[in-house]
Amino acid sequence: MRRVHPSLRWWWLPAITPMLAIWPTCSDRQAKQKGEELFQQNCAICHEASNLDLKKQPPRLEGLFQRKTLRSGAPATDEQVRKAIINGIGTMPAFDQRLSTEDVNDLLAYLHELK
Amino acid sequence: MNPKKLLYLGLGCALFIAACRHGGMTYQLRGQVLDKNLTTNEITVNHEDIPGFMPTMTMPYKVKDPAVVEELEPGDKIAAEVVVARNGNDYWLEDVRITDASGRRTTKAPAPPQRLSAGERVPNLSLINQDGKTIRLDDFKGKSVLMTFIYTRCPMPNFCPRLSSQFAKIHEDLAKTPDVYAKTHLLTVSFDSKYDTAPVLRRYGLAYLDNDASGFAQWDFASAAAPDLRKLADAFGLIYFEQGNQIAHSMDIVLISPQGRIVKYWATEWTTAELEDALSTEATVKPARQTAQAVGMQ
Repeated sequence: MRRVHPSLRWWWLPAITPMLAIWPTCSDRQAKQKGEELFQQNCAICHEASNLDLKKQPPRLEGLFQRKTLRSGAPATDEQVRKAIINGIGTMPAFDQRLSTEDVNDLLAYLHELK
Repeated sequence: MNPKKLLYLGLGCALFIAACRHGGMTYQLRGQVLDKNLTTNEITVNHEDIPGFMPTMTMPYKVKDPAVVEELEPGDKIAAEVVVARNGNDYWLEDVRITDASGRRTTKAPAPPQRLSAGERVPNLSLINQDGKTIRLDDFKGKSVLMTFIYTRCPMPNFCPRLSSQFAKIHEDLAKTPDVYAKTHLLTVSFDSKYDTAPVLRRYGLAYLDNDASGFAQWDFASAAAPDLRKLADAFGLIYFEQGNQIAHSMDIVLISPQGRIVKYWATEWTTAELEDALSTEATVKPARQTAQAVGMQ
């Protein structure tokens, strides 16, 4: 068997380090992109519209996580927003069984970026 | 300015104008024309899923250009843009293209579902309300009843949420005139008995009653076991079916007289004021007239 100099045994490590470094960024970007698509498909029709013939106008969601509380008064946390999406809140319908856990994660990633 | 720059500028302007043309959102529709109405400028289309707007459905759409309605015929396969107004309260078709005219006039509009006619007695079906209590349609005799059909997870603002919002407005207005309020009742029935259990309906109802549970005395939110829902749908000519994870259904409102008879249906166009007026009139109409009507109808 061909002998490899000990200093060359880990030659591949520097090669994959940058890939490992950018991996979370890529995956994060993909989540936000998917989140934006889901937002356009499911949320924009209410949250980006104005003067809907509804009892309460759905709020705009820009800066949602920059606020301390949601319109319901609950803290503006991932947990509360996830709960609102899945179970509905006030007149907002539940998206239970319509969006998967991964979908909601992607939506949350996008909503954090929506400023 | 050199010609290339001028071309880019022109292209940019054209794109800007195209983007601003509607001021609302657009969705792509593909489907088959089943019927057309030159008076209302509408076509009934059996269309494929429109992501973000509507699941597969057969429903009427207004067409912006009347000439297009004249040109289209039942059986035509079309592609079009659904334009939803910026305020979300109106939608119509634009840029309608016939993609296949080979089936022209060979597809007939589905026969309207059989339903009880005005004056016919409403069956005494049972429902489960937001408190988990069994209620029967005969329980409301003596009151005029406005009844509609929804499912709580409906995400389309122009459909179930709009219906419930309009009923909430009617409820608020009627509460201001106690004598009429006492003679009327609102009833919202869900198509989704699996998901819309009593606690879900209670939470949904409270959102439209400003968290005032006393409102349930005048407005019930109910679901029915599958066989009873079927009977209800047959009686009122309702169309509903599960489509993916949504429920496609017709939009219907029924007015029932204090004697438990059908007065009127609304299926496409109505205003909150019109519904409220019809409900109040039916509740306050002189009993003698109602008796005469009932006798005449038998």
